[in-house]
Formats: sequence, structure tokens, C-alpha cells
Amino acid sequence: MNGFLQSILAAGLVLGGAAARAGSIVVFAAASLTDGLQEIAQTYSRQTGEKVALNFGSSSSLARQILEGAPADIFFSADEAKMDSIQGLIAPQTRTNRLSNSLVIVVAGDSKLVMGSAKDLTQAAVKRIALADPKTVPAGIYARQYLEKLGLWPALESKVVPTDNVRAALAAVESGNVEAGMVYQTDTAISKSVKVAFAVPPDEGPAIVYPMAMLKDAKDPAAARRFLAYLGSAEAERVFEKFGFILIK
Amino acid sequence: MNAEEWQIVWFTAWVSALSTLVILPFGLAAAWLLARRDWPGKSLVETVVTMPLVMPPVATGLILLKLLGRRGPLGRFFHETLNLDIVFTWRGVLIALGVMSFPLLVLCARIAFDQVNPRFEQIARTLGAGEGRVFFTITLPLAWRGILGGMTLAFARALGEFGATIMVAGNIPGQTSTLSLSIFQHVQLGQDAQAYRLLGVSVALAFLAVWISECLLLRSKWPGRK
Amino acid sequence: MKLLLKNISLPVADFSIEVDVELRSPVTAIFGPSGAGKTSLLDLIAGLRRPASAFIQLDDRVLTDTAVKTRVPPRRREMGYVPQDLALFPHLSVRQNLLYGQKSGSRAAPVFRFEHVCEVLAIQPLAQRRVTDLSGGEKQRVALARALLSSPRLLLLDEPLARLDQALKAKIIPHLRRVRDEFHLPMLYITHDRREVLALCDEVLELRRGRITNRARATATDWPVNNDET
Repeated sequence: MNGFLQSILAAGLVLGGAAARAGSIVVFAAASLTDGLQEIAQTYSRQTGEKVALNFGSSSSLARQILEGAPADIFFSADEAKMDSIQGLIAPQTRTNRLSNSLVIVVAGDSKLVMGSAKDLTQAAVKRIALADPKTVPAGIYARQYLEKLGLWPALESKVVPTDNVRAALAAVESGNVEAGMVYQTDTAISKSVKVAFAVPPDEGPAIVYPMAMLKDAKDPAAARRFLAYLGSAEAERVFEKFGFILIK
Repeated sequence: MNAEEWQIVWFTAWVSALSTLVILPFGLAAAWLLARRDWPGKSLVETVVTMPLVMPPVATGLILLKLLGRRGPLGRFFHETLNLDIVFTWRGVLIALGVMSFPLLVLCARIAFDQVNPRFEQIARTLGAGEGRVFFTITLPLAWRGILGGMTLAFARALGEFGATIMVAGNIPGQTSTLSLSIFQHVQLGQDAQAYRLLGVSVALAFLAVWISECLLLRSKWPGRK
Repeated sequence: MKLLLKNISLPVADFSIEVDVELRSPVTAIFGPSGAGKTSLLDLIAGLRRPASAFIQLDDRVLTDTAVKTRVPPRRREMGYVPQDLALFPHLSVRQNLLYGQKSGSRAAPVFRFEHVCEVLAIQPLAQRRVTDLSGGEKQRVALARALLSSPRLLLLDEPLARLDQALKAKIIPHLRRVRDEFHLPMLYITHDRREVLALCDEVLELRRGRITNRARATATDWPVNNDET
């Protein structure tokens, strides 16, 4: 690159960096962590004065964005596979697994459907089931793994309405446009208008793990490490438990 | 290209074609009214008809979702009375495509009607033709090029529709998956080769559609045009 | 025939057409300079324009009466209109143009038979041609035949010979005479050519800026009052 282009690029990076560097720690986190992380980040900011910028989405699209060079400092994924996909960009020895979750089948608050097990999803009254995209999004992949294990997937596959992330699946059930959906236990805590038709016992369901790690290119590694440590602290764990997450000991 | 990809191309093509046909009578009616009649509030109608062209497609899609969902005013009727679902089905795709391409059809058809000399219609009336006959034997035949050009443009727009479609119909494999939705998903999955293949088909279809509509819209055949 | 044009008030451009007249002659000429409102008046009679006020009656039928909001639509006025630009439908063949005004089915036999009209106006060989291929004179005769074949009770002609050279005019005037004599159709004939008036018309109305300034027998010598036409 010639000198002129280099200067332009440098200027752009500096400006872009300056915007992000307005003291914020940038966290890319799975959608299911939204409410818990927001509360934790608020408390942290109040206590330390450091700003935390949260970017929620499906772990799959977040991982893609990080691979394309998005300026994340910390990645908090909903499954190991997505963290593995960016293995080369993770700062060594910063990856830990502290959180787990469990799956539930939800229906609209005013639904008449009754379910004793996942098999009841095959009944004719259930025409459509919302899942986070079972090809890419962790919540959908977990759900599919569970249904495959029960031998129900072939019968249910054609009923599936794939959504962009697990919160979108929840919204689809809330809107009444699908009869049922599978989301995380933690998602039901924040929704007033759905009810749990069946909770998958954690030991029967797939092993859900939420790894978190700092990225090599973090703007302010020291600040990022501090927040990462806070996420593993007893205070933060209490908040996660409050929202229904399961702690991995 | 494998069978599944061809299925997506085929689905996209036929649902786009069908949506164009479905909006045709409404589009022609709207275009004719705007070209031939004046009434208080006409500019309001003009604005509303053009809005899907300039609003963010996801915004239009959101409005449609609220209207056509099972709890929405229109969707409730279909769900409870006719046991039909619109959202998350091919019918949702059809309506999303139709709404998004409607303004283009009306725009082109209106210009086509504007170019028909009203004198022909007047003389036809003196010869005893009622309004229906005047429209089908005089106005429409003299405007057919512009109308066909508008239909082709609407079809091309429907082929490429994404924002409203994903809101109203989602991307359900084998049921509502269109070319643009598939390309998006392949990119998300990092499946670039598949994405490029579908992209190629998209470009070819769009090119063909626009080229045909250019030929139709730019050539003026009848003398006696204003 | 009897054509009543009473209390006509039709705003056009920068003046208003005000006419109050009763016409009884078989062929009445409307004579005047361009812009006098002749075409607008014809449009009004045909029902193609809405007046501020008007009472129009042809024989025993009231066609327009703004006082009681009566307005017979153009398609039921039974008038044959040959406009200045002829307005032959370019997408139809000559034959399709000619037959456009023919009433179908229940309205039974047209007053003027297809073969007779074609013979009078000498257009039989043109039937299958496209309208765009015709010469000026041929188009004129086709437009006239089309109007006749709709079985009108009154013929409205707007400068039918204006675009033709003298030779053609001389050829067509006999056809018009035949139309007048064989079909017994009353006609309103707009022109600014004195010779046409003399050749075809019984009576002439002079129209200037929307007002009838003179009315005379065609053969009289005291018209045109305003001598700025040829």
C-alpha cells in the first residue's frame, strides 16, 4: 500500500478506535444472556466507573462478525462450537466455562395445550414450532440434539420455523403465530406472556455450556481482564442464578 | 447446483410470478384512477401507494406481520374462520412480495395510461362503448407495453425481496425459503460457494427481467400518442 | 330534426361560450375563426364536456339539463362524431374501427348497413388495412363511415376537410352530399371554408369568442359578417 492509502487507513482506524475507546469494554454475548448481563454490567459500571458496551445476538452471527474483524474485547458464547470457531483469536488462558442452562418447551400464555413430554410436540394440534435456527444457533442446535436423541426429529422437522436467535423464537411464541417453541429456561423468566409446557430435566437434555473468553485484539486488555474476572465473581454468579442459569462448579 | 437449490429457484420464481399476477388488477385499478380521475385526497392515495417503495422493507414487513399474524385484525379472520395461516407460510411470502412490488407496477401503469390520448376514449364513448368496454378495448391495448414493462419490473422486485419476507414468512427450508433468504443464510453459515451459486442465478434473473422491461418501456409504438 | 341549445354556458380558456339557439335545418354550418369555441361546443353537444349550465334537447329527448342534473352519457346520445384529428383507433384494423360502434345482438339491424355505407364512401377495398397505412383522404372517409355505422341520429363533423388539398376536397364533397341525401342524417358541420358551406349546408351560424354573432341561410350573401376568413 502506498503512503497515502496508509495514512487514510490509519486515520480511519484511529477515529474508529477512538469511538470505541471512549473507555468502553465491548462484549459480544449470546442473546439468552441479555437481561442477566445487562444487570451485571450496570452494577459493574456503577462500582468501577468503567463503561461496558454490550452487543447481543445469536452466537453464530457474533462469531462470524468477530472472524470478519469486528472490534470485540470479550466473547460470551452459548456453545463451545462457536467459541472453537474463533479459537485463533482468543487470548491464551482466558477461556472459562462457568454457566449452563436448560431447555424448556413454551406455549403462549393463553394456550390450551398440555404436554407431558417432548413427544407431545408431535400431536396434530401443534402445527408449528419455533426454534432458533437449528443449523447455526446454539439454542436451536441444542434443541435439535435433544429431539434427535428422542428420535422425534424426523417427525418434527417440517413443523420447525427457524428464527434468527432464541429471543426471536420466544417472540414468535408470544405473538401466537406458532403453537410452541423451545427456548432456554432463563428466557421464560423475563417473558410474561408465555408459560412453560414442559421443562427438560438438565440431566436428560444436551450438555449446555456458555464459554467466555477475552480476545487477543482487545483494546484495553487490563480492563477486559478485570471485567472477565468480575463475570466469574460470586456477585455476578448470584445474578445469573437469579435469572435461572445453572452454575458449573 | 443441487436439487434443493433448484427448488429454491423454482419456488422464488413461481411465487414472484404469482404475486405479480395477484396485484395486477389492483395495480391497474389504482393506476387508472390516478391517471384519469381527480378527487379530494388524491395526493394522499398517491403517497400511500408509493410508501412501500421508500420505507425500509423490514418496517413494511413489521406492519404486515402485525396485520396478518394470528392475533392481527386480518390474520385472525383467516385463522379462525378459514383455518388458514398466512404468517410463516408461502402465502405470507406471496403477500410480502406483492406489497413491496405494488408501487412499481402502479407507477409504470400510470405512466402508460397517461400516454394514451384521452381523445380515443372519448370517441369510443360516442360510438356507444361503456366504461368497461372503453377500458378493455381502447385504453388497455394502447397501454399494454408500459403495463407489461411495469409487470416485469414488479416481478424483478419480487425476485429480490428480502426484508419484508423475512419478517412475515421467516426462512423455513422447503416452505418459505427464497433466493435472497438462502443467500443470506449461506453467508451466515460461511458457505460461500453455495452463496455465490445462488447469487449468480439471482443476478441472471434480475438482469433478464430488467432488460425485458427496458425494451418494453422505452419503445413507443403507436402514433397519436400525446 | 330539432336541436335545442338553450342557456348554454361553458367556460373555456379565457372566455365563456354562451349560446341560446334552436336548430332545424338538415345541415347547419358552424363558421368562425380558430379559438372561437367551435370544437368545445361540439364536445358539449356530444356529452364529452360538462357545462356550467345547459339545456340540450335533440328531437324529443332531453340530453342535458343542468337545472335538474340530467345528463345522458355520451354512449347513449346516439351521435356520430368525426373529430378534427379523426381519432381512428391505431391498434385496430379499418374493419374493426368501422364496426366498433355497431350495436350488437338485441339492438338488431343497424340503421345504416355496412355494405351501403362502404359503397357510399368508397372504402370497401380498405377494410383489412391497418389504419396507419391510409392516406389522408382515406382516413377521412373511414372516420366518417365509422361514425355513420353507429346508427346516429345526428352527425357532428369538426372541420372534416381541413387537412385535405383542393383536389381531395372536391372528391370528398360528393360523398358528403350522398351521406346527406341518402341517409337523411342531420349534421352539424364546423368549417372555416365558405365554399364547403355553400356546397353542403343549408344554414350557417357564425361563432366568435363563444357567441353566435350571425345566423343566415347558406346561400345568402350577407355573411360572413366578419370578413377575415378565406
